[in-house]
Amino acid sequence: MPKRRQSSGSSRRNFLQGAGFAGAAAAIVPPATADATPAAPQERLKAAIPGPRQTAAENMPPTKDPANQTSSGGDFMVDVLNSLGIEYLAINCASSYRGLHEAAVNHGNNKPEIITCVHEDIAVHMAQGFAKIEGKPIAMACHGVVGLQHAAMAIYNAWCDRVPVIVIGGNIMEADKRAPGAEWPHSGVDIGQLVREFTKWDDQPASLQHFAESAVRAYKIATTPPMGPVFLALDAELQENPIANAESLRIPKFEPVAPPQGDSGAIAEAAKMLVEAQNPVIVCDRVARTPAGMARLVELAETLQCGVIDNAGRMNFPSRHPLNQSFRRGIIAQADVIIAIEMNDLWGTLTHFSDRIVRQSRPATKPGANIITLGVRDLYLKSNYQDFGRWQDVDLDIAGDGEASLPALTEAVKRLVDDGRKSAFGARGEKLAKLHMAMVEQSKTDATIGWDSSPITTARMCAEVYDQIKDEDWSLVGTAIRLTWPHRLWDLKKPYQWNGVSGGAGVGYNLPASLGAALANKKHGRFTVAFGGDGDFMFNPGALWTAAHHKIPILYVVHNNRAYHQEYMYLTAMAARHGRGVERMDIGTTLKDPNIDYATVARGMGAHGEGPITEPKDLAPALARAIAVVRSGEPAVVDVVTDPR
Amino acid sequence: MKTFAQISVMALAVATLSAGALVIAVAQDLPRGDAANGRRIYLAVGCFTCHGRSGQGGAYNGPAPILARTALPFVGFKALIRDPSNDMPAYSDAVLSDQDIADVYAFLESLPGPRSPRDISILNN
Repeated sequence: MPKRRQSSGSSRRNFLQGAGFAGAAAAIVPPATADATPAAPQERLKAAIPGPRQTAAENMPPTKDPANQTSSGGDFMVDVLNSLGIEYLAINCASSYRGLHEAAVNHGNNKPEIITCVHEDIAVHMAQGFAKIEGKPIAMACHGVVGLQHAAMAIYNAWCDRVPVIVIGGNIMEADKRAPGAEWPHSGVDIGQLVREFTKWDDQPASLQHFAESAVRAYKIATTPPMGPVFLALDAELQENPIANAESLRIPKFEPVAPPQGDSGAIAEAAKMLVEAQNPVIVCDRVARTPAGMARLVELAETLQCGVIDNAGRMNFPSRHPLNQSFRRGIIAQADVIIAIEMNDLWGTLTHFSDRIVRQSRPATKPGANIITLGVRDLYLKSNYQDFGRWQDVDLDIAGDGEASLPALTEAVKRLVDDGRKSAFGARGEKLAKLHMAMVEQSKTDATIGWDSSPITTARMCAEVYDQIKDEDWSLVGTAIRLTWPHRLWDLKKPYQWNGVSGGAGVGYNLPASLGAALANKKHGRFTVAFGGDGDFMFNPGALWTAAHHKIPILYVVHNNRAYHQEYMYLTAMAARHGRGVERMDIGTTLKDPNIDYATVARGMGAHGEGPITEPKDLAPALARAIAVVRSGEPAVVDVVTDPR
Repeated sequence: MKTFAQISVMALAVATLSAGALVIAVAQDLPRGDAANGRRIYLAVGCFTCHGRSGQGGAYNGPAPILARTALPFVGFKALIRDPSNDMPAYSDAVLSDQDIADVYAFLESLPGPRSPRDISILNN
């Protein structure tokens, strides 16, 4: 501490004052003499003897350290965050942003509210889950360098998912301000470069006014479609030091960007193609970014009476809508016009791909099918990470936010639909509705297979949960990979009844992101439910402590197949290719011997735990007990030992 | 998407095999399967990882077909194991003998398969 304060007078901001003080000290402090430091023999000298100024500086008494301060840059930063309506600051506490942290608690009176997380990955994923439910971002703060490195994978998921997250990282910019030890490896010249390839924008403000403008700019960039995470590096001194120029500081006005709509001529052309098509199909992924989005997509589909294939990146389309053909993807092969709205992986959706020794692909579309795209994802891409997917040829490419452009497109379609077409469209819709109903009935029949088996089938697990929550104002905010039963069996029809997936498929998303969504749902009084895999759970089990600590109600059902199951299948395929050892592929892919007791883990974190449930007959009572806990405002985990998928 | 393709291939196999004397010849050569041993093999070699312990189907890179009480004749079933379509790996006789396949087939035939969902009230919410 004394060493650190000795050098504090030479900071960038206090440079002139410090220089003057040093000069004065040199004038009044007697220079050190040979009596104090014995001189070495002349011939062994490697450098000149320190002169009086250097000697004086090295022996200068500590600068008088003010005992108190009445303001700090952190106070102003908190005011800026509050001006943006940021409700929460999810953190894993760290010294490099202690100034901001203290200011949030005391100056802001815990506004934004601190959400204590035990890992930065949890904090970012909570912010990702929150933003998708609430439609606005929260902030997370992490330590410089090492905390940001922990956060990086989650930031990547948010980037791939095109979700706004305000990421703040502490840093100590000035080398002469860093204490010996950890502050050096925890500081960087440009810590934003760690995440620059998967954030929309970043900055390291050098003054408080610079911070204010950058924070508002960051918020605006993050929330403008295509949305994404942004990063601000905050200098510790800027947070901690008194505000020197309070009267000149101002918080900039934030005005959200009206999302870009597709070109009117292109929209008209798209409408003409759709109306004239015999079998148009809508494919979509991340259309609904506000509660209005689903209704707009439904209106377009109903106007055209065409099938919709929803990749479920958001709550785009009601699961039981008769035009929902998401589990009848064969209709792509019959489509003569396909409109892809806010698609993430269009090529993958329109292609049959075989993961075999020689990887092969062929179009799922019929020859001559016309493809229209409408979306903003490709308006902001980066080079290194390949989340943009493979190139897809299209016939009409419209740059415009899907949700914002839908009303104009639907109106353009309506203008072209005459009575004759309306009748034909109606017949088409009736046919699709019958096929949809057949799909639903087939799903129910399929769900009966293995109904009483142990381990419990995923179909039964999902049916049992739905039976007990269906009368709540429920919100399903997570499922394990490939767990499609809720979309096949449940009646998802409200904008908050589905919250999409991770985006980047980085494992560890599901539990904390579900918790973030539950945090958003809490103030609306919704009942939050999520399914999550056991492998995912073990990346961030500490999220349950956050749930218990902040009393975030959530029913978290662990789909416990005791494996990293996708990898188990991949490895089995590898062994089969080689014609060897197919019985040994549990090595390195399973989570058994010992089995993990997730209910005990939950209880250890302060949450309610049920299970492991291995028999189907025990599931309903366990769920009932857990649901009672959730209704009381607490988190509960039900560990269900399941068949793989 | 891949499931539909897989099912199409299966349907083609069934149609082809149903077309003539081949079915009769194959039926005469059908190895007698041991369902209990078939269950052991089904679990040991990883069939269950994609198709479920009850043959209820599941998912690999895409949906994996239901196998309980499969409608495929044995020869079609065996052909798909030796030379499958889409993402399913081929199981050669080095890891799965014809008798093993017959045992697995017997196990799948012994499974109860689907029930009427009307008998399960919570499937009708």
